[in-house]
Amino acid sequence: MPILDEIKNALADLNEDLALQLVRNALAAKVPAFDLLRACQDGMTEVGRRFECQEYFVSDLMMSGEIFKQISSILEPELKSGGARSAGKIVFGTVKGDIHDIGKDIVVNMLKSANFEVIDLGVDVPPEKFIAALKESGAKVLGMSGLLTLAFDSMKRTVQELESAGMRQAVKVMIGGGPVDANVCRMVGADNWGADAQHAVRLAKGWI
Amino acid sequence: MNAQPAERKESPCVGNAAEQLAARKQRILDAEQLRQPDRVPTYMPFLNLLYQLEGVSNAELYNDPEKAHQAMENAARRFQPDMCESLFLTPGVSRALGDRMTRWPGYGLDDYGAYQYHEQEYMKADDYDAFLADPSDWAIRRYLPRIFEELGGLAMLPPMGLISKGALYFFGDAAVYAMPPIVKAAQALFKAGQEHLQWIQQMIALRKRLEAQGFLLGMYFEGSHCCAPFDHMADTLRGMRGIFTDMRRCPEKLLAAEEKVIPWLLESAATVLHVRHNPYSFIPLHRGSDGFISLANFDKFYWPQLKRVILALIEMGVTPVVLWEGVWDQRLQYLAELPKGKTIGIFQATDLVKAKQAIGDVMCIVGGMPNSLLVGGTPSEIREHTHKMCETVGKGGGFIFSTEVGDLQGCKPELIEVWAEATREFGKY
Repeated sequence: MPILDEIKNALADLNEDLALQLVRNALAAKVPAFDLLRACQDGMTEVGRRFECQEYFVSDLMMSGEIFKQISSILEPELKSGGARSAGKIVFGTVKGDIHDIGKDIVVNMLKSANFEVIDLGVDVPPEKFIAALKESGAKVLGMSGLLTLAFDSMKRTVQELESAGMRQAVKVMIGGGPVDANVCRMVGADNWGADAQHAVRLAKGWI
Repeated sequence: MNAQPAERKESPCVGNAAEQLAARKQRILDAEQLRQPDRVPTYMPFLNLLYQLEGVSNAELYNDPEKAHQAMENAARRFQPDMCESLFLTPGVSRALGDRMTRWPGYGLDDYGAYQYHEQEYMKADDYDAFLADPSDWAIRRYLPRIFEELGGLAMLPPMGLISKGALYFFGDAAVYAMPPIVKAAQALFKAGQEHLQWIQQMIALRKRLEAQGFLLGMYFEGSHCCAPFDHMADTLRGMRGIFTDMRRCPEKLLAAEEKVIPWLLESAATVLHVRHNPYSFIPLHRGSDGFISLANFDKFYWPQLKRVILALIEMGVTPVVLWEGVWDQRLQYLAELPKGKTIGIFQATDLVKAKQAIGDVMCIVGGMPNSLLVGGTPSEIREHTHKMCETVGKGGGFIFSTEVGDLQGCKPELIEVWAEATREFGKY
């Protein structure tokens, strides 16, 4: 359907006004909301591809997130009646002692646009809160973000708590944030680390 | 967290305190001016490591200057840096103003937390017109009440431009200055001023105390503070989300706003230079590094404005100390445009071997030790990395060995000692 390609391309090109107008027009023309959502998700996948090719940058990811959020709000009333199947659940948060949230929010948005159900616990999240959310949601992936070096210790304690709770084998752990690197991943005991939001999406898709 | 107090070690050093201090100053100056010192200097930002070394809470150090100064002395004696940094400012200013923007141990964070900035969209997109029409009026009557609880009364003030009516202004509006919310705001500003003055006096005392023992406290953060005009509009005003959408939604307004910012930065730097006699201007950069914005946007919104600020600072006799946060591997050619030997560059995650090749003859390079190595590395990894940095980035001088993140919090003391020893061993010229 040409309108779906147009929506996908408008979002991929970060043409905000055009993307929103096309979605509104399509809804008015009774195009199913799930098809429109799918087109937007395809657009976000293209955004991710351009980011990996270094054609797009973090600022473009944020802009795409803004457009996707607005489109999701438009489509939400139409989507509520159906039951879209999510790609899987992920618990995410910035660790205890750290209140930085922008990087985390970019990753969460990209995961959501890739159809993951993300339980976003916010910032300054202690280990027990991560564990409780994992138990309650049944999520098999945990993502932890941190920008301060004190975050390393919080990440490590969270992984230790996972082990104490007997959940470590069942849950994959990814970490990210400014000073995070392979050394930190090894020290924390995480399964992998991501340098950017797109990497987080790839890890999640590989694990779920 | 209940760390045990650190064992106070003494390392061997040459000469008496005055001689050691002179040697350290010369070592740093030589590196800053792209000369080859006697050996590669180390620059250690102790900051939030201090409470861990002393086995107390961070809040306790922030609230007890004598304890904090003793902690600095202990750390300097243990690790023998050529230059070091202490705690970053005081929460007293934030407390006095009812600051909503920042968090400190004991103020928005638990007693073992570290200072953090709470980024929000403190300036909304529809504030641009008011900002551009009269930025001072907008900042005083709209912005300050938004971010400081104690300054809410400033919203009651008449338009600031009316003050140009002189006596006639006060004949009509003087009464507002007796209104309780305005009085409260004035008292909060006075209290904040007192807190800051106290801090400045404490830093003067700390510097004298450390120098009497042969140690050099850094001066970079006590000079003026400038920024990229783009970062000024982003950091404390539009936030990252806001500024990135502004580039697409209202680019001309963003550019116009950046032009407003530049003269403020330069006047502030001139005042610090001539009144406080500190020749440095600290410029932390946040949104211009690789990965954040495209080169096209960098060329339009970021670099020309930043370069103008840097060149104007150099022209007035100021030494810009630019913290190139993040990775700048793909933008080193821009740094190479700067006048040789006139700036100091602190690098976080840039490939310093590449940087040395591209700009080693342009600016002193500060950085090189990943914090993650001092947190979870092994002594042999640290020695190997130190050797590599001294041989490559240290070649010919112009290198000050510091950490990638300017805070040693969480780093293992024994690994910092390995780093210090290895630098003394491999860093000799």
